[in-house]
Parts: sequence; structure tokens; C-alpha cells
Amino acid sequence: MIGVFKRLKMWSPRPLKKTYDVVIIGAGVHGLATAYELARRGVRNIAVLERYYIGAGSSGRNTAIIRSNYRTPEGVAFYDQSVKIYEKMSVDLDMNVMFSQRGHLTFAHTEQAIAGLRVRAEINQLTGVDSRVIYPSEIARLAPAVDLSSRPRFPVLAALYHPPGGIIRHDAVVWAYARAASRLGVDIHPFTTVTGINHGGGVVTGVDTSRGAIGAGTVVNSTAGWASTIAAMVGLRLPIVSHPLQALVTEPLKPFLDPVLVSATLNVYVSQTDRGELVIGAEIDPYSSYSNRSTLPFMEASAAHVLELLPSISSVKVLRQWAGVCDMTPDYSPIMGFVPGLKGFVLDVGWGTYGFKAGPISGRCIAELIHTGVTPDLIKPFSITRFASGEMLGEKAAAAVSH
Amino acid sequence: MRMTRQEISFTFDGRRVQAFDGDTYGSALARARVDVISRSFKYHRPRGLLCCAGRCPNCMVTVDGVPNVRACVTRAVDGGTVSGQNAWPSVRRDLFGAFDRLDRILPVGFYYKTFIRPRAAWPVYEGVLRRLAGLGSVRRTPRQADHATKRHMFCDVAVIGGGPGGSVAALAASQAGARVVLIDDQEQLGGHLAYSQATVTGDDVLNGLRGPEASARLEKLIRENPLIEHLPSTSAFGIYEGNLVGASRGDSLYRVRAKQIVVATGAFERPLLFHNNDRPGVMLASAILRLAARHDVRAGRRVAVVTEDDHGCAAALELASSGFDVTALVDSRPAASDQERSAAVRSRHIPVWEGATRIEVVGRSRVRQLRFDSGGGRRSVNADLVAMAARPEPVVSLLAQAGAKLVFDGSTGLFVPAECPANITAAGHVEGISDIAGVLKSARAAGTRAALRALGQPVATPARPLPGAPIGAAPPPPATRKAFVCMCEDVTVKDIKLAIHEGFDALETVKRYSTATMGPCQGKMCHSLSAGVHAGITGQSVGKTGLTTARPPFQPVTLAALAGPHLAPERQTALHDRHARLGARWVDMGEWKRPFIYTTVAEEYRAVREAAGIIDVSTLGKLEVTGRDAGEFLDWLHPNRFSDLRIGRVRYRAMTDDAGIVLDDGTVARLGPERFFLTTGTGAFDAVEQWLQWWLAGSRRDVQTINVTSELAAINLAGPRSREVIKRLTGADVSNKAMPYLAAVETEVAGVPAIILRIGFVGELGFEIHVPAEYGAHVWDTLMDAGHEFGIKPFGVETQRVLRLEKLHIIPGQDTDALSNPVDSGLGWIVKAEKSDFVGRAGIAALGSRSGRPLLIGFEVTGGGVPAEGAAVVHQGRPVGRVTSCKLSPGLQRAIGLAWVNPEHATEGSALSIRLGEGTSGTTTAARVHLAPFHDPEGARLRGGG
Ligand SMILES: Cc1cc2nc3c(=O)[nH]c(=O)nc-3n(C[C@H](O)[C@H](O)[C@H](O)COP(=O)(O)OP(=O)(O)OC[C@H]3O[C@@H](n4cnc5c(N)ncnc54)[C@H](O)[C@@H]3O)c2cc1C
Ligand code: FES
Repeated sequence: MIGVFKRLKMWSPRPLKKTYDVVIIGAGVHGLATAYELARRGVRNIAVLERYYIGAGSSGRNTAIIRSNYRTPEGVAFYDQSVKIYEKMSVDLDMNVMFSQRGHLTFAHTEQAIAGLRVRAEINQLTGVDSRVIYPSEIARLAPAVDLSSRPRFPVLAALYHPPGGIIRHDAVVWAYARAASRLGVDIHPFTTVTGINHGGGVVTGVDTSRGAIGAGTVVNSTAGWASTIAAMVGLRLPIVSHPLQALVTEPLKPFLDPVLVSATLNVYVSQTDRGELVIGAEIDPYSSYSNRSTLPFMEASAAHVLELLPSISSVKVLRQWAGVCDMTPDYSPIMGFVPGLKGFVLDVGWGTYGFKAGPISGRCIAELIHTGVTPDLIKPFSITRFASGEMLGEKAAAAVSH
Repeated sequence: MRMTRQEISFTFDGRRVQAFDGDTYGSALARARVDVISRSFKYHRPRGLLCCAGRCPNCMVTVDGVPNVRACVTRAVDGGTVSGQNAWPSVRRDLFGAFDRLDRILPVGFYYKTFIRPRAAWPVYEGVLRRLAGLGSVRRTPRQADHATKRHMFCDVAVIGGGPGGSVAALAASQAGARVVLIDDQEQLGGHLAYSQATVTGDDVLNGLRGPEASARLEKLIRENPLIEHLPSTSAFGIYEGNLVGASRGDSLYRVRAKQIVVATGAFERPLLFHNNDRPGVMLASAILRLAARHDVRAGRRVAVVTEDDHGCAAALELASSGFDVTALVDSRPAASDQERSAAVRSRHIPVWEGATRIEVVGRSRVRQLRFDSGGGRRSVNADLVAMAARPEPVVSLLAQAGAKLVFDGSTGLFVPAECPANITAAGHVEGISDIAGVLKSARAAGTRAALRALGQPVATPARPLPGAPIGAAPPPPATRKAFVCMCEDVTVKDIKLAIHEGFDALETVKRYSTATMGPCQGKMCHSLSAGVHAGITGQSVGKTGLTTARPPFQPVTLAALAGPHLAPERQTALHDRHARLGARWVDMGEWKRPFIYTTVAEEYRAVREAAGIIDVSTLGKLEVTGRDAGEFLDWLHPNRFSDLRIGRVRYRAMTDDAGIVLDDGTVARLGPERFFLTTGTGAFDAVEQWLQWWLAGSRRDVQTINVTSELAAINLAGPRSREVIKRLTGADVSNKAMPYLAAVETEVAGVPAIILRIGFVGELGFEIHVPAEYGAHVWDTLMDAGHEFGIKPFGVETQRVLRLEKLHIIPGQDTDALSNPVDSGLGWIVKAEKSDFVGRAGIAALGSRSGRPLLIGFEVTGGGVPAEGAAVVHQGRPVGRVTSCKLSPGLQRAIGLAWVNPEHATEGSALSIRLGEGTSGTTTAARVHLAPFHDPEGARLRGGG
């Protein structure tokens, strides 16, 4: 309890220097984790530049689902590492990020969908991740509020149960990284927009910002929804389309729902936070846009769908809805690493609707890559070159609605 | 004269409360002197009515099992059951109230700093936190009455807000000829006029009337106006893209699409900051007046008014006129600026205290006294009611959400809309105009303008005077322990200070850390208050600090209203009742219901392999593709070719996307020189039609597509005796010579026009018969009759899957995924590489340079058991593939299937190790790769020769 009396001195404002060894664009979980991990490796002279406030992007808007029950062995191995870092984060960064591992259930409403879940369960188990297919009697025990009768148009037949999955206080993660990075000497500059990237002869030399030009040996693009706009500054076209993703939250209720519930058939997922609010989301909007405006049809559809799963919450009220922008790749997997032919430019993008959970491990890998110049094995499958060679990863089935 | 009102009663936490018909639960509780209605979220402080307008968290109760209902705006119902929330045993005597004294150890964000070590203890702490979290509880059983409705409305002008401004704007718009929808969250129009004693000026229809009369006049004029539809007690909660207004009343949702929107949401008071500003009995001045005027309830007798601007004088006078004993007007400014009003207050023998500091409320579950420093000493005033009279602030949230730019008007200290998005107009008090005459003028002009624009006449927006120069730094907030900025989240001035000192450097980060403005009032009470406090602490101006983003919905909306009536459409084929009569078990495939099985797989299987079977395949997507370029267009969309297909022939088709991934499969039959008949898989139909339309949009090709999916019923007749069966139903020559394998014939079957395709998914001689849906049942019956002597049987989807697996026919979507190309899926034979460009060509061509690609192969289980679909193929404990389909083959008496495996395991005869699936703790069985079909590998039966 002693902890309550301590002042959490967050991050310190520092003057903007003329040059940095590493400039990281975007103060979301990815940019900040990368900065922290670089500093931990002893790299000094790092800046994180952020257009708005710390965590203004999707890192401050996501629904904070953390899990590793993906579908490809590459994906599972990668996300599993992140979950492990999250499990220790409160202690490591000395801030309670409230990782609430109350389990994650992905429902199947058709026989074919059960087979799809089983594919994941199999890969998960063979990769050492706790995940299995369960049936209504066990679902009823884990989530008694779920309607398992034959009333719904598409009754629940089975679920993929992933006990270590859950949700986290996403803002706390962002702040914890920002604070830890700042303490190790990283300069974090909010309200500093990157407007151009200086490069020539295949080498990046710095960035232009709303507060003047800055020299940089390495520039990291970790701007998620705006990744294409930053890549365009070096003449690079990414296989990324930005789509809005929306979510809503209800008034707080006495907790009655432990696990996260996801249904691809119904295009909805729901979790209950430690404050008692229900957080409800869906798949990306089908059109591309950089707009953060939310829509009425999203609320209507999500409400209708969530009531199929939880009919008892029909009189619960929605308090807030919002949208973020997601950088979607064709195979629902990220793009990480160096760009052939462009020295000093590093990508950590394509995080789509599932990138929050990956923040810690990406930060670690990208830091290693910058520090050693060698791409870590864990992120080799996510190279940008895979799109030219056709070696894409099949995560759509595991990431479209689940995030 | 007051009519005698009917008496009703309800219970609050078990105690009977008398009320009159027309009361809200809130007004009845106030009349019954129930002070404590709720407990606050964090400290469990007692809370009572604050705003009486449904805009704060203080009166949230559970009514008849529905949590978080606002008592002050909910009509009391005789026999209703109301209970307090977030308290034990009751809100009156809540044991958790002890938390109030723990504020020193529960400062803002305390949970970020605690429960960190030991790591293993967190789940335990979390369990405790969760037990304390949340307000109301949901009932376990679903609500029975599913009465949600959804209404779509279209109008020229939507007016949001039915106060004097909105009402006059609606009248003006209708006078200009516009159809108007007027949305107001109150039962009666006229807003605050109902409890205002002043005489109205500024508009011809109201001039000279006193408040309540004016409000009655508006009500009448609008009721009688045929062009205006008034939605009473309805909250507009959002303005969305395309001028769509979302509004709700209980579980009804209104979607109002308007050419023009007039936002006349008026202004509303907010709380003031002083010690214990949240005690029951501390209310907004307007709330006290509203209770008195609307419900004839005096929330107390002796009221002390606290203010920080001239609004305090007005409030004190109104309260005095409404029969309250005003015991003091306590003003934090050194002197009132409106000396005339101030004098009026004094002349009514109301003591006025100026320059008041260290204001404090005494009393726990009810105000007893107000204390403050003024005139060089500590004063205390007895009162059972404290009226907070702050200058009403424009309710700009809806405008801000819609994209209006707000500016801070330094002369008034208010945020006002500076620039509204196209087709949206602000009118009245929300613009920052506070005198009634000005409001009515602005509203009439805005209403007329909106109407003319909606009716197609361009009108310029009059230039608005720029708001006053920004004042300097905001005043520092009071230094006290319990001055609440955000009632919902129990955030005090002290908490905000701490957050800023801890380094949260922007209003948005402070908001997230403290959670101020994020509670059930959605910031209505605390949005600008918290910005002001932030500015005061950081020494910035309020204008520079700005406001946090306004997010919809502005008022809470129930999930039931948003969801609308529970509609769960299912598609049935024309033969549905035939299947039902045959006792089919159903399976969902997309929206369709299909017969899964009628009897047993073994029995149905035998019929198809040995005699004849029929299956309803009406759910196949069916498209007619016609036009001069139809053949070329189909060539473009597929790796194989159709332009060279002869009339009267059918060909297998599989379609790929840009990346060369298999989308779906089916057949194309050519029925005429420019006429093709295309079928798709059951699930893929929508996607395929959209795909065709997408490629046709903007193309100069002469191609038309007609969706005939529901127009045609389709029946597949298959089995060695199927020819004998169909022979009895058609005059056409069905011999193998005249109608060979892959023939496509338009003819008559059972006296009905039909298309017959000689194909066989299940690997037998087969006829796919398409007939007009209305004759589907007739044709089915006739086939069953004719087939009787041959032993014909209907078969379901499950049997079909077994049959096709013996042929190793794939089902896209089941046997392929978002990465499967035709070559590796065993469909390489359809790819005509020599063909000119087609969608997906580049992706398929690039395959050559990639090694190690997994392949789709057939297998038979040699080690016993039936691996589950989705089970992993393993090699030395590592996954090397996955099973996509697997069934017990009645023909072979062992399990067979399809699986993707890495190429080194994909050669004929390779031994595979396959897991059996859940519940087997990883047990594996042995299998062998089998690349050729298990059944009739040469296709002799399919071709049906002889
Ligand atoms: C509604 C929603 C729900 C989601 N749910 C989940 C979930 O449950 N689980 C999960 O794992 N993921 C989820 N995601 C995805 C996840 O939030 C993102 O993938 C992740 O936060 C990306 O982090 P980031 O640090 O890369 O980017 P961001 O947090 O978006 O940070 C990028 C930053 O770059 C800044 N920036 C952009 N351009 C510039 C410029 N020119 N100059 C300076 N700065 C710039 C932006 O302001 C922004 O702050 C969700 C996303 C949304 C929108
Ligand atoms: S008193 Fe009912 S909402 Fe404020």
C-alpha cells in the first residue's frame, strides 16, 4: 500500500536537440517500447516524436485484448513472447498495468468454424500456448451470462478457450514505457509533427518537423494508422490500407463477465473491465479512411450482435463510442525490419487491429535490430520482402474480429 | 388552480414512497425528503439530486431490475420497485462509506501504484477491485418484453432542442415551407420557460407572455402545425456523417436524416467548486427551480445561493419569487458587476456576501450549513439547500462531435461554436446568446435559413461578431480536499493537481489518468469544469487548454434501442417443407437452412452409390451473365477459359483474387452465343456477385449479370440409376450420346422449363436440374415418385461431403484459406498460363520462384480413428500440416480426408502422423498420402458411359 504515496513522476519535458542517433516517429506503445528497449541496450541520444499527446493514436484507443492464440506458428511464437513480457510488466516497469488474464473465448457457430478454431488450438498447443476447443457445458461455467440456448439465430456450438488471454489498462502500458524510457534518458517530444524525411543516395539523414529539422542516423516509422504517410516521405509505397476501427463502452456494471468473448460469425467482441464497463468492438469498417469519426451503424450492428450473445444486457446503456485508424496488410500480419535499398529507415508498421498486444516484443526486436544491425529470427517472417516473393502469413482467420 | 392528482406509490430500498401521477421517481423522492439516492463510485459518498435533468450521475438507481436509471427523469409508476446501487446494505447506510475517509491513501490513479508486488497476488487484488467496481447489476434473465423499435425519418430540417430557441426555429422553418422534425428530451416544449417568471420578448408569437404561458403557446402552435413532427422525451445523442441524427426514447431508436440540422441545445449550469460541493442538498439552481415549477416540490426551505458571476443574482431572485427562503447569496467575486441586480437582491432582504473564499458545506447526508470567509471573518449560514448558480454554458457537445470549431469567448468565459459544418446551424443560447430576446431572434433566423437551404435556396450565413478577447490565466481552483470536479468518478481538484504534478502534460492525458469526464454523465457536468481547473493549475488560459474531444453518444442509449427489434432472418429453399416432412436435421450454411441428414449417412450413401439419390442444391448461387463480352469477361475473372466453351457445354470454374488466392468455385454453362449460366458455392454467392460488379463498374464491357439464385430451385440427381429416373420426366434424349458428361441442356423436366447440367460432385452419373422455384417442390415430388422403384433416396449435406471426399473434390473455404492458390490446392489443371492476362495471374506466376510451399493432398488413415477437422499433422512433435476435411468412408471403412502438408510429406504413399483432436491429449494416428481419388479414379462412373 506504501506505493500510493509515491509520486509517479511520468516523463520529463526536455529541449529538442539538433540531432539524435535514433528518431522514433510515433509515441504509441511501439515507438515507446522501442525507445525503452534501445535505451536499455545502452543506446543514448534517442528521441520519440509525437504529433499530439503521448498515446494519442491507436495505443490510446484500442480495446486492449492481449492473447497469443494465433494461427500460424510464426505468429503464435511471436505473440507468446509479448504475453510473457506483459505478465511481468507491472513489476519490471513499476507501474500496475492491470493485466487481467481472465481468459479469452472465441466462439464457433458452425461446424466449419469449429474446425477453424481447432486449427488454432493445435498450433497453439504444439507451440506451448495454453489453448483448447471447449463445448457449451464448459463455456457455461466460464461465462454463465452467455446465451447457450437455441434462441440465437446462430447458436454457440463451441469455443476456443485461451486461459492466459485477457485485457490490460492500455494507457498505463503507454505511460509505463514513456516513464521508463524518459528515466533512461530518452527525449519524448509530444506535439511535434514529422513533416518530411531527409534522405538521399539510399540513406536517411534526418527528419523535418513542425519544430524544425532534426538530424538522425536511424529513423523508425512506428505510426501505425499513418504509416503510409510517413513511408511516402521516403518514396516508399507500403502494401497497407488504413481503415477505421470502432469501439464502444457502456456504463459501469457490477462485474458479471470474466473472459473476453469473441464471435467472428456475429462480428463482435466484448469484455468487462475492472471498472465494470463493457467494451464492445467489431471488425474494421469496410472502407478505407483516416477519419476518427464514429458511426451510428456501427453501434446498431454491435448492439444487435452482442445481444445475441448476452441477451440479459439489453437495458444497459452505451456511454461512448470512438474510432481509430488501423494499418491493414493483406495477410493480417505486420511489416517489420529494414527496407532494402534504404539505409537507416526501419519499419514497425502494419499493426492493423492487433498491434497493441505486440508492442513489448516488437519494441525488443526492433531495438535489437537497430542496435546489432541484424534482424532477429522472431521477426524474420514479417519482412517487407514477403509481399514480392508471395510468402505471406495466414492470420486473417485469427485476427479479423479478434484483434 | 391545481387539479387533484392521483396518488400512487412505489418502494425505494424497501421503503414505501408516496407520489402523484406525473411525478418522476426523483421528484417523488425529493417530496418525501429522501436525501440520499445514490453512493458515489469510488468513495461511496452519499449523493442526492443535483441537476434534475438527467445529466449527472447522482440519481442513478435500479428500477424494476433495470440498472443505472436516472430517477429524476423517469416517470414514477405505481407499484414500482426502486433500489439504490453500489452500496451495502443500502444507500442510506452504506458500510463502504468508510472509503470516504481513505482519500489520502486512495488518491487519483492509486491502482497504478499499488498491488504490483508480489506478482502472483495481483489476481487476488483484482478480484477485490472487481467486487467493488461497477454501479448497477444486470439481471441474469433476459428481459421478456422485447419491444425495441427503430424508425427511419426523413425531413428538410431537424431541430434538436425544444426550448424557446428550438421551438421558434422549428416554427420559422415550417413557415418557410420545410418539413420539420423537432427533437426534445423533455415531455413539454419550452425548456426553462416553464419555470421562469420573466416576460418574454423578441418574437411576435411570444411577446408579452410570461414564461409558463409562452411555453404553453409554443406547445399549441407546434401541435397544430402539420409540417412539424415533435418527438417529445427523445434525446438526440449524435450527429453523424451525412446529416444523420441519432435519437432515442427508451428502447426506441430514431434515425433522422435531415437536409439541414438546427442545433438549439441551449445552455446548462454546471457545479461550482467548494468543499463538499457534492453533499445531498447541494443542487444546481435550475434543478431546484425545475422541481418547484414542474412538480410543485420544494427540495428544501432555506436556500443559500453560491455563485461566481451575475447569474447568482438572477437565481436568488427567482428562488425568492418561487417561495424559498433565500438565506444568503455568496459570491466569490470581490463585487458583483451587475450592481442593479445586486441591489434588487438586497432589496429583498437577502444577505449578500462578496469576496467569499474557503466555501464549505457542513452536513453529511444533508446540507446543514454553508460556511465561508467573507468581510474579514468566517461566516456561517444555516440552510438545508445550497443552490449552485454558475452561468449556464452552451451545450456544444453535439456540435463539437459533428465537427464544429469551438472558441473560447474571453468576455463571457464560455466555449461557443465559431464555425459549424455545412448544413448544420447553431441557434439560440448554444451560440452564447443569453438574453431571451436575442435567443428568439437568432433562432427564428436560423430556422428560416435552414428551411430555405433545405428547399434549395442558397442563403448566406450572417457574419457573427468575434468573441471577446481571451482573458488571461484561469483563476486557481480552491485548495480543499473535497471539491469535486467530476462527480461520476469522484475526481477532486486535488486529484487533478496531483496528476499534473506527476507529469501528465496534456488535458487528454490528465483526463485518462484521472478518468475525469469519463463516467456516466459523459462529461456533461464536468467537461469545461475540468478544463478550467487544469488551466487554473497550469497557469494557462482556458482557451489555450481547450476541451477534450466530445464523443457520441451525448446521452446514454440502451443496447436494446440500438439493436432494434430482434430479427433473425433465415433463408429457406423452395423445397424446405419437403425436407421437413422427410424429417431432415438442419444445418446452417450462411443464412440458409439446409438438410444435414435425413436418415443415416450409410443409408443415403448406399442409395447414391448403388441406385439414385437426390439433394436440394437450390442454395448454390446462380447468375446469368449475358452480353457481347460475357465470354471474355469470364476469361478475365478466371484462370481457365470460357470464351471457347461450346454452346450446350458446362465447365468447372474456380476464381482467384488479385493475389491468385482461390475465392470460390462452381460451374459455367454456355446456353447461347452471349449467354452464360454461372453457379457459385452456397456461402460465396454475395462475394462473387460483388466481385463481378466491382470489375464491371467503370468497365466498357458489354456484360450484364442477373442474379437468379432465388428464382431457381436446383436438385441434383445422382447415382447409377439416375438416367432411368430422369428419363421418365423429360422428353429430351438423356442418353450418354445426346447428353454426355458436361452437357448443358435447356429442356423440360416434369412439364417445367429446366436447365440440366450433366455434372457430378459426388462422383456418379449425375444431373443437376434447375427449375423455376415455384415448381421446385413439384419437380422434387415427381423425381421421388419416379425414382421409387429404383430405390431413390434424398441425401443431405453430410452424406454429400462424404461422397465428394471419396473423389477428393475440394470445397473452397473449407479446404482452402486466405493463402491457398489453385496450383497448390490441386486445381493446377484449370490454370491456362498461355491465356492473356487474368485476375490473379501475377500471383500464380510468382509461385514458381517459391519453394517449400505446402500442398493440399488426400490421405487415408491407416492407424484407426477419425482425426477431427482442423487437427494438426505432426512430424517429430512439430506441426507440418493440418487436416481440412476428414470423414469415415463407408466405401473404404476407414477415415479419409484432405490436408495441407509441407511438400516433403506430400508425395504419394508418404506416411503421416495426425493428431486426433481435442479430448485425446495429443494422441496421433498413422495415415498415408493418397493423391488419386478413392472412388472411381478414372471417372468412368461419372461419365456414365454404357
Ligand atoms: C478501436 C481499436 C481497437 C483495437 N483493439 C486492439 C486489441 O484489442 N488488441 C490489440 O492488440 N490491438 C488492438 N488495436 C490495434 C492497436 O491499438 C494498434 O495496432 C497499436 O496500438 C499500434 O500501436 P503503435 O504504437 O504502432 O501506433 P499508435 O499508438 O497509433 O501510435 C502512432 C502515433 O504516431 C503518431 N503520428 C502519426 N503521424 C505522425 C507524424 N507525422 N509525426 C509525429 N507523430 C505522428 C500518431 O499521433 C500516434 O500517436 C485496436 C485498435 C483500435 C483502433
Ligand atoms: S439529478 Fe438526475 S441526472 Fe442529475
